[in-house]
Amino acid sequence: MEIIKANAVKFEYAYPDEAPRVVLHGVDLGIEKGSFVALLGHNGSGKSTLAKHFNAILLPTGGTVLVDGMDTADEAHLYDVRRTVGMVLQNPDNQMVSSIVEEDVAFGPENLGVPPQEICRRVEDALRAVDMYAYRDSAPHKLSGGQKQRIAIAGILAMQPEVLVLDEPTAMLDPVGRREVLETVHRLNRERGMTVILITHYMEEAVGADRVVVIDDGSVRMDGTPREIFSQVEELRALQLDVPQPTALAFALRKAGYPLPRDILTEAECADAIAALLQKGVSA
Amino acid sequence: MLKDITIGQFFPAKSVLHRMDPRMKLLLTLGFICMVFVPKTWAGLALIVVFLAMCVAFSGLPARLIFKSIKPILPLILFTSVINMFYTGSGTLLWSWKFLHIYTGGLSNAAFIALRILCLIAGSSLLTYTTPPTALTDALERLLSPLKVFHFKVHELAMMMTIALRFIPTLVEETDKIMSAQKARGADLESGGLLRRVKAMLPILIPLFVSAFRRAYELATAMECRCYHGGDGRTRMKELHLHCRDFLAVGVCLVYLTALIVLNIFLPHAI
Amino acid sequence: MTVLETRDLCYTYGAGMPFAHAALRGVSVAFEEGRLTAVIGHTGSGKSTLAQHLNGLLKPESGEILLEGKNIWEDPKKIRDVRFKVGMVFQYPEYQLFEDTVEKDIAFGPRNMGLSEEEIAARVKEAAAAVGLSDTLLQKSPFDLSGGEKRRAAIAGVLAMRPRVLVLDEPTAGLDPVGREQMLRQIEQYRETHDATVLLISHSMEDVARLADRVLVLKDGEVAMYDTAPAVFARADELEAMGLTVPSVARVFAALRQRGVPVPADVYTVKKACAVLCDLFEERGVPTC
Repeated sequence: MEIIKANAVKFEYAYPDEAPRVVLHGVDLGIEKGSFVALLGHNGSGKSTLAKHFNAILLPTGGTVLVDGMDTADEAHLYDVRRTVGMVLQNPDNQMVSSIVEEDVAFGPENLGVPPQEICRRVEDALRAVDMYAYRDSAPHKLSGGQKQRIAIAGILAMQPEVLVLDEPTAMLDPVGRREVLETVHRLNRERGMTVILITHYMEEAVGADRVVVIDDGSVRMDGTPREIFSQVEELRALQLDVPQPTALAFALRKAGYPLPRDILTEAECADAIAALLQKGVSA
Repeated sequence: MLKDITIGQFFPAKSVLHRMDPRMKLLLTLGFICMVFVPKTWAGLALIVVFLAMCVAFSGLPARLIFKSIKPILPLILFTSVINMFYTGSGTLLWSWKFLHIYTGGLSNAAFIALRILCLIAGSSLLTYTTPPTALTDALERLLSPLKVFHFKVHELAMMMTIALRFIPTLVEETDKIMSAQKARGADLESGGLLRRVKAMLPILIPLFVSAFRRAYELATAMECRCYHGGDGRTRMKELHLHCRDFLAVGVCLVYLTALIVLNIFLPHAI
Repeated sequence: MTVLETRDLCYTYGAGMPFAHAALRGVSVAFEEGRLTAVIGHTGSGKSTLAQHLNGLLKPESGEILLEGKNIWEDPKKIRDVRFKVGMVFQYPEYQLFEDTVEKDIAFGPRNMGLSEEEIAARVKEAAAAVGLSDTLLQKSPFDLSGGEKRRAAIAGVLAMRPRVLVLDEPTAGLDPVGREQMLRQIEQYRETHDATVLLISHSMEDVARLADRVLVLKDGEVAMYDTAPAVFARADELEAMGLTVPSVARVFAALRQRGVPVPADVYTVKKACAVLCDLFEERGVPTC
C-alpha cells in the first residue's frame, strides 16, 4: 500500500517582478508503507522541497500529494497529515522547543491534545526507542549532536506517525553521531515497521535503504534498489553525485579492463570479487 | 567559556520545597514579600528570620547559596541603611558633625530596614533556587490564564519565555564563536573610544541577528511539523496538582502572619 | 623547515571551577612549511582547542607556541599580527558574513591589516578568484548567495589576508560531493601558489586521505599519532578503537588481506588502490576483457 502518493507535483516560487522559479517539475512518486527510501540529490536539486510537500509544510502549485488518502491541500486534514508524516530537520539545535528533554518530546502530543497520562506513556516509549531515556531530565544544549538529533526523532515518534521523513539529519554531525542516528532510524524501520524517507547526500547512507530515488533539477531521474542505482556510476556522476568507494573501485578496475561485477556495494562484496578474480588468474 | 554560564539559578534537589507546586510557590513568594513589610517590632522581624531559616532548612540548600544571592546587592543595602541612619531623630544623640547627626533611633532604624531587605532577597531567591525556569514559566502561564478572558495572550507569552530560555545558551555559544571568527580576521574589539567600539561590534551583532532570524525561521518550521497551532486545544504532559504539602505551606504562612500582627499590636514598635 | 610549533601545550576549560575539563595535555607538534597536515580525532579530542591556540585566540595555560621560531605571546600586543599570519577558517564560516557586499566582507581582514586601498582591492580579487567567485557576485549582498557560495566567500575573507599558515575546521561539512571536491581542490591550489602550510581539521577520512601529507591524531587532548598519511592509515585497528573511521577503500584492502591477498596496508585512496590492484592482476595473469 502506498502511504504517500505524489501525482505530477509542481512547485514554483512566485516573485512579484520576476519570472517564477520552478523547483519541482511534475514529480510522480509513491512511497510504500514500511519501506526505507533514500532520496538522493545534490544541494539545490529540490529534494528538500519535495520532502516538505509530504507533510504539508509546502503545498504543490500543481498536482496533488496524498498522505494515507488525504489530500495535503485540504485544510481540514492538515494536522492529520502532519501527525501521519513526521519530519526531522537538519539542524538539531533549531528544532527543540524546551530546555528539558522530556518536555521537548512531549511538545508534539501536547499540540495534538493527547491526554496527559497518555503523553507520559508516549514520551517514555519514544525516548526508549531512540535509547535516550536516561537523558530525559537533561538540558538539550549539554548533549552531543547525535544525541540531540535522536531527541528530535523521539519528539516526532511521540506523535505516533506512520512515516518518518528525515531531511539531511546527519549533515551537521560527526561520524559517531551519524552512526547513532542511522542505526536508530534503521532499527525503527526494522522493528516497528516505520516507513522511513531519508534525504541525504552521503552515498554510504543510501546503501542500506530498500530503494533509492535520485532527484535532479526538480524531477525524479533514477529510481530503484541501491544495487541498481549505484551500478550506474557515470550517470550518477553526471548528476553531481558520487558512489560508495567500493563501487568506485570496482568501476575503476572495470575501466582498466578487468571483469568485475557492476553491482558491488559493500566492502566485503568488493573484496570477494577481487579475490575471486585473482583466483581466476592463478588457475589460468 | 561563555557557554558554561547557567541560566537562572536553579539548584536541583528533591526537597519538600522543590516538590511544591510552582504556582503555590510563586503565590507564596509574593505573599512572603508582603509579609516582610508587616512586622514593626524587633520580635516580629526575628520571627521572619526564623521563618526563612525554616524554609532554607526544608529546601535542603546549602546556606552559602543564600549568602551568594545576597552578596551582589550588599552595597545597595549598605547605602540605604547609611542614608536611613541620618534621617531618624529619636533616641539619644551619639555623634554629630556639622549637619549630620546620629541618634540611637537612627541606628536601630537602619539595622531594621537592612535586615528587612535581606530577608526579602533571601526569600525570593529561594523561589528561583528551588524551581526550574521552565516550571516558573509554566506556573506563570497557568496563574495568568484567567486573563485570557480579556484577550491577553497568556499562552503565547509563556511560549516565548520557554523558547527564550531554551535558546539563550545556544545564542551565547554562537556569540562566542562569531567573536572568535572575527578576531581571527583581525577585528579589534578592545581598543578605541566608545563610537569606535560600537562600530567594532557590528561584525558580531549583524551575523548574530542574521543567525537568530535563521534559527527562528527553522524553529517555526519544526514547530509546524509538530502540529503547533497556538494554545487552543493544547494539553500538557505535566499536570499540576495541589498536594497536602501545598496547603500545609499556606497554613504555616497564615500562622506566621497572625503571629506578626499580634506582635505588632502588643509590643512597642521599633520603627 | 618548521614554521609553526607547539611545546608542551596545556589548556583547561573553566580552570579552577567544578566543571573544569582538560582539553589539551602537553601537546608538542611541529608543522613543516608547505605541508598539508590533517588533524583528526573524535569530538572533544582537542582539535578545535589546539587550532584556536595556533593563532592566539586562546592563551595556553602552560607551554608555548612558536611561529617562525618566536613565541607568539612574547608581546601580547602584537597578537593580531599572528592572526594575520595564521589564518583560521572556522566551522560553518558562512555564519560570520556581515558586510553589505561580498567584496567588502572579503576586504575586512586586509583592511584590519592596514593595507593600502590598491593592495586590498588586489587581494580581494585574488582571493575571490581562488575560491571561484565571479566578479558579478562581488557586488551582491553576501546574504543573497547560495549556501555553497557563502561558504566560499567566507573562506576568501581569510585567504585575502594571505596567511602563511591556513587552518581550516571542517571546511567541507554539509557540502555535496561536487562541492566538496571543488573546495578541496581550491585549498590545495592555495597551498601551491603561496607555498602555504595548511592544517585541515576533518571528520571525513576520505578528504584526509585525498589531501594530507601528514596526519595528526589527537585523543583526549594528547597526541596519539603524528606521522605520514600512509603510516597512520596503516594503523586502522587503532584508529577504529578510537572511534575514528578509515577510508572505505582501506577497509576493502584490509578485507583482502584477511582473504590472503598480499596487498600493502598503506593504500587508502581509490586511485592508488586501482593502481595497486592492476599491477597485481597483471602479475598474476588475470585476463582482461
